[in-house]
Amino acid sequence: MTNKIKFGLTFVLAISLFMMSCLPSAPGGRGGGKAARTITVYGFSVMKESLEKEIYPAFAAKWKAEHGEDVSFQSSFAGSETVTNQILQGAPADIGIFSIERDVDRLIVAGHVPNDWYVTPQKGIVNKTPFVILVRKGNPKGITDFADLGKEGVKVIHPDPVSSGGAQWSILSIYGSELKKSEAETGKRDEARALNTLKTIWRNVIATPGSAREARTQFELGQGDALITYELDALLMKDANAAVDVVIPKSTIFSEHPVAIVDRNVTAEERPVVEAFRNFLWSEEAQKAFVKNHFRSATNEIFNTTNAQFGKIEMPFTVEYFGGWSKAYPEIIEKIFRDQVQNK
Amino acid sequence: MSANLSGIRHTRGFDVIKPLSIMTLIIVMMPLVLLPLASIFIFGTSNGLRSFWNALTAPEAIFALQLSMVTSFWATAFNVVFGLFAAYVLSKYNFWGRNALIVTISLPTAIPTAVAGFALLLLWGPYGILGKYLEPYGIHLMFTAAAIILANIFVTFPLAFGVIKPVFDTMNQSLEEASATMGATRWQTFWHVTLPSLRGAILSGALLTFARSVGEFGSTILVSGNLAGRTQTAPLYIFAKFNEGQVEAANAIAIVLALFSFLIFSVLFFARDWLEAE
Repeated sequence: MTNKIKFGLTFVLAISLFMMSCLPSAPGGRGGGKAARTITVYGFSVMKESLEKEIYPAFAAKWKAEHGEDVSFQSSFAGSETVTNQILQGAPADIGIFSIERDVDRLIVAGHVPNDWYVTPQKGIVNKTPFVILVRKGNPKGITDFADLGKEGVKVIHPDPVSSGGAQWSILSIYGSELKKSEAETGKRDEARALNTLKTIWRNVIATPGSAREARTQFELGQGDALITYELDALLMKDANAAVDVVIPKSTIFSEHPVAIVDRNVTAEERPVVEAFRNFLWSEEAQKAFVKNHFRSATNEIFNTTNAQFGKIEMPFTVEYFGGWSKAYPEIIEKIFRDQVQNK
Repeated sequence: MSANLSGIRHTRGFDVIKPLSIMTLIIVMMPLVLLPLASIFIFGTSNGLRSFWNALTAPEAIFALQLSMVTSFWATAFNVVFGLFAAYVLSKYNFWGRNALIVTISLPTAIPTAVAGFALLLLWGPYGILGKYLEPYGIHLMFTAAAIILANIFVTFPLAFGVIKPVFDTMNQSLEEASATMGATRWQTFWHVTLPSLRGAILSGALLTFARSVGEFGSTILVSGNLAGRTQTAPLYIFAKFNEGQVEAANAIAIVLALFSFLIFSVLFFARDWLEAE
């Protein structure tokens, strides 16, 4: 090889190395000039669509109209417990939207969120959605309710309760629905029956992905016969023309999703815009946008009649049925699921 | 040679072993490496080149690729310089604890990358052993590009060193000694005698480190914060898109990374030859 070629190659290499080392100054500048305020949102996995498609642009337009400032958003989505762990480790979230209230409690204990975080309308809950069963088109395994998921030969995808809030909702849903049904039939909560159903279903679980969204992707890629998930995510799949059917259990839980400002990361200067954004989540505009994206409104049941795809649930219940998260987590997720189902 | 080893004589004419062994090689590689790679290309372009291009030019995708390049560059720059220095010291001098140091440098190879990630968090995080002292000054290392570079440095620490050290070890000492006898300073000897014979090793060490950094996932996802358009590297972007069910968007970037490593290892293959041939 001649010296000239060698020199040329070295030169090209040097230039490309120089360019690579320089790039760090370029990034970050998304969503308009330096004047833009940026709100950092950490959300549980299935919040992504409604926030990015509707809520962010709507709030940015509103803030611009009222204050003449540009607001941009950056966000990260993962399982609710994962998101919480990231914030606990110092991730720069201004605001967090979680699947389960327990995660807010964990942030309170660590001093990230004040005790009075829920002194807002709806006790900090931004929206809700019932838990449903997703099956392959035509329902070849004949699934009609949770108990059928425990039948021989049914393969279930279920997110991992360690990292996913949705997984915990699902467990509460299975367990609570059996209590609810037995209560309706005999007047007593049959805990043995509920435990047994949970056990038989868990025997059929073939994969525990990290978040509800990951579970959905695995299901979409062809794994498993059934998936327990948020109704919202099931309807988003139907919208995307996935070959799936939604099975509405006779009795199921409504998951309720809290929002909290991460005080520790919000400066006094940023506070107004972050608070305005949180409050915007309860505005009519935002609640209607949630309904359009298949969440159910937490503020107004009339909005919920506008989405024709919502399923009718015969015997719905909420975490209050177990006495709230402070009881449901230790008594059902830990003592029943973890100790008697998972570790058996 | 393989023919000789297997005891088959091939004094003239056609060597059957050659095509057979090549075919075996490819057949074994097929399901293990070649087909999985091919499926990335098939999936990534299944909806047509137009949507592949759109996935590729999404601002967050481009950002993720850039961020990967930049963070890998700095990790490589550090690890090559350090690897060179470490190799020099550890092959030149014999001292108590030398082997312990060599082993320690090699450790990150066997440590799960997730462990590397939370080890960094435990040290530099806002509540970490050292990080909590930086926190009052508003210095945040974790959840920034710096965290990604630190993670890359940790994970690729042994690579450049591992390539450079053996060359040092086998280097002809007499050249350096001759240089010294002719009155060259230590630095002159290093610059004019030692370094030129290391060029090939430095280049391959750098490319290996860079390639490994670009593909790093396990530690990055823990320390970076995974914010799209800010601290999301290309592998994190791929993972996020996959989780969102946008397998095509994930594949578009995966294709770029696959082509990129192909390029890197091609350069490695050819450039090393001519650098060393000199």
